[in-house]
Formats: sequence, C-alpha cells, structure tokens
Amino acid sequence: MSFDTATWIQVATFSAGGLAMGFGAIGAALGEGYTAGLANEGLSSRPEKSGDIFKNMLVGQAIAESAAIFALVVAVLLLFLDPGAPYLLKASAVLAAGLSMGFGAIGSGVGAGFPAGQACLGIARQPAVSGTLTTNMLIGSAVCQTPAIFAMVVALLLMFTDFSSMPLAPTWAALLGAGLSTGLAAIGSGAGGGLAAGASCEGIARQPVSVGNVTTTMLVGQAVSQTPAIFGLLISFILIFSAFPESAALSAAMAPLGAGICMGFGGIGPGLGNGLTAEQAVRWVARNLENTGGLTRTMLVGQAVSQSTAIYAMVVSLVLIFVI
Amino acid sequence: MEAIRETEKKYCSLALTIAVVIAIVCFILAFKPLGKGLILGAVFSIANFIIMGETLPMRIGHNRRRSTGISFVSIFGRYALMAIPLALSIKLSQFNLAATVCGLFMIQLVILTEHIVNLIQMKFRKTQLL
Repeated sequence: MSFDTATWIQVATFSAGGLAMGFGAIGAALGEGYTAGLANEGLSSRPEKSGDIFKNMLVGQAIAESAAIFALVVAVLLLFLDPGAPYLLKASAVLAAGLSMGFGAIGSGVGAGFPAGQACLGIARQPAVSGTLTTNMLIGSAVCQTPAIFAMVVALLLMFTDFSSMPLAPTWAALLGAGLSTGLAAIGSGAGGGLAAGASCEGIARQPVSVGNVTTTMLVGQAVSQTPAIFGLLISFILIFSAFPESAALSAAMAPLGAGICMGFGGIGPGLGNGLTAEQAVRWVARNLENTGGLTRTMLVGQAVSQSTAIYAMVVSLVLIFVI
Repeated sequence: MEAIRETEKKYCSLALTIAVVIAIVCFILAFKPLGKGLILGAVFSIANFIIMGETLPMRIGHNRRRSTGISFVSIFGRYALMAIPLALSIKLSQFNLAATVCGLFMIQLVILTEHIVNLIQMKFRKTQLL
C-alpha cells in the first residue's frame, strides 16, 4: 500500500480533527461537571434559592463551554475545509494545529469550572450578593479562556499559513513543536487562572465587602498565571515563522521539536503553581482585608519564583532553536 | 424552572437582536455573506443555549444512570448541532465562515458584555454618589 501526498494530508487532517475535539472536550466537560457538583451542594443547603443557583449554573456552564467550542470550530475546519495545494509539510502543519487546539482547550475548560462552581455555592451562602458573584465569575471565567484563545490562534496560523516554500526537513518538526508548545503550556495557565477565580468567588461569598480588593488580586494573580502560556505562544511564533535551513539529519529536526516539547511541558507546572499561589492569596485577602498589600506582594514574589522554571524552559527552547 | 426560562429568554432575545442589527448593517453595506453567516451562527448558538437550559432539570431530577445518559446525549447532541453551521458555511459560499464562528459565540458575548456594562454603570454611579 503506497500513500501519495494528498492521502497523507487527509490522514493528518482527520487525525488532527479527532485530536482537537477529543482532547478539547475533556476540560470543558470536567469544568461543567464541577460546576454542577457545587451547584448541588448549594441547592442542598438552600433549596429555596434553586432559581438563582440554576441560573448561575447555566450561565457559568455556557462560558466554561467556550473552550470546547473553540476546539469544535478548529476540528470542523480541519475536517471540511479544502486543504488547498497538496505538499507534504501541510500534513505536519494540520496535525500540529489539532494538537495545539486539543491540548490548549483542556486547562481553560477545567479552569472556567472553578469560579462557576464556587459562585453557585456562594449564592447559597450569600444570596444578597448573587449579582456580584455572577459578574465576578464571568470576569474570572473569561480570563481563563485566554490560553485556549492562544491555542486557537496558533492552530489557525498553522492551518492557513502557506509553508510550501519551506524545506520539508526540519520544518515538519518545527511545526509540530509549535503546536505542542502553546497547546501544552496553555493547560497549566488555564487551570491556574481558574483556581484564582474560584477563590475569588468563594471570598466574596464569605465577605461581600471585600469584592474590590479580591477582584483586583484575582486579576493580578490570573495575569501572572497566564505568563507560561504567553511564553508558549512566543516559542510557537518563533518556530512557525523561522526559516530553518534544509537538513536531512534527524538531529536537526529534533532541535525545534524538542524546543516545542520543552516549552510546552515546562509551562504546565508554573501555570498551575502560579494559580495555586494566587488562589490562596485571594482567599486570604477576603478574610484579612487590611493586609491586602502584604498578601499581594507575597503572592507576586511566590509567583515570580514559581515562574522561574518556565523561564528555564524558555531559555532551553531558545537555545535549541537558535544555538544548536 | 421559571428562572432558567427567564434567563434563556433574556439572553437569547438579546443575542438575536444584536445579530439581526449587525446583519442588516452588513446587508446595507453589501456584505451579504457576513450578515448571513452571523445570523446562522447566532441561531445555532441560541439553540445550543436553549437545549442546555431545557435539559438542565432533566439532568438533575432523575437517578444517576438516567442523569448520566441524558448528560451524554445532551453534550454530544449539542456539539453535533454546533458543527452544522460550520460545515454549512464551509460548503456554501453565501455564508462567511469567520462571521459564522463569531455568531456561534453570540450568547457568551452577550452574557459577558451585559455584566461588564452593568459593572461599569455601577462604578460610575458610585463615583457620582461620592
């Protein structure tokens, strides 16, 4: 059985479509399930507020589902869009697009579930601030979607950029590396941002007067949590737009692929770690408003230290791209 | 479940109104595929939101096995539904693909915009009171 270029591209697009939607559905489903679980907890403690809790759950789940809709859009584009002129590099590009979107949607889906669930529980605790809780939940969930949007941008770039003039080797590996870099790095940042947003909803429900300080700390914490995903995006852009000299040596292909893998995996831990720091900081700002400044400073110092591992990963990636 | 119906009604009517207004502007400016794509995406986004809301009580009011089954059918059904406008806009040139994708996020955009506008109004009122 011999495969021509068009068949290879078709094989790659179908696999990529499956990967994009299959992995992309994981996070949103977990996030939505978590929301419904905490809504049940809230309902059992205050059944008379079922209307408000259901309403918040519906809105929260709709937002948490955005990451899966991004994945769906990319998957359908991969499956139905005309791939254009067939060249073998296209197969690598579409496969990378599927990986980027599939992995990239996991963290955001899970992360958006945390504020939605905590807001449902918070409405049961403090029905008087249900409006504030929903607004805070929506802001937190929206920020959580940023890494999934980065992944979608990379996926679309990989699908629609014309690589026909590039040499097959080592560009095939660079494109796969680009997809993995943003896709994997987005997992930690998406989930980490969600942890901070969840603690924010919990904090407002415990102490409604803390809303201003809690929201500010949440946004600062989330912004730092997104940094590893931004590093991942940066490495992806470098890998997509760099012109690598043609080389048949396998080692030349492994360098850009390794760079993508390094930044992708290297970004998961710091994204989650920063989120864990922000979660605790936000939680304690709500309980100890007077010490907001000190808590925010400690959070930022802790996050900077946690971030250093992502910086190491980025440095190694850059060495793999430009030095080796 | 009156609260859910009210929420559905509020966001769906708002999403459809915004989509229609933008589509009319697109038609006037002779960007027909843009307008058509936006309406197509928005209609399916609304249908997805309504099914999500309507199956919510079904998912909660039964035993575990039935609730799990309904949830699975709901998720797969809704994703399949959302794929229809995308496939249509890829195959038919009268619908713009980018506009269809934007339309698919119409409900989410309306929810976020409404709350952000409320937040800004609240802050503005507070500053005026001070």
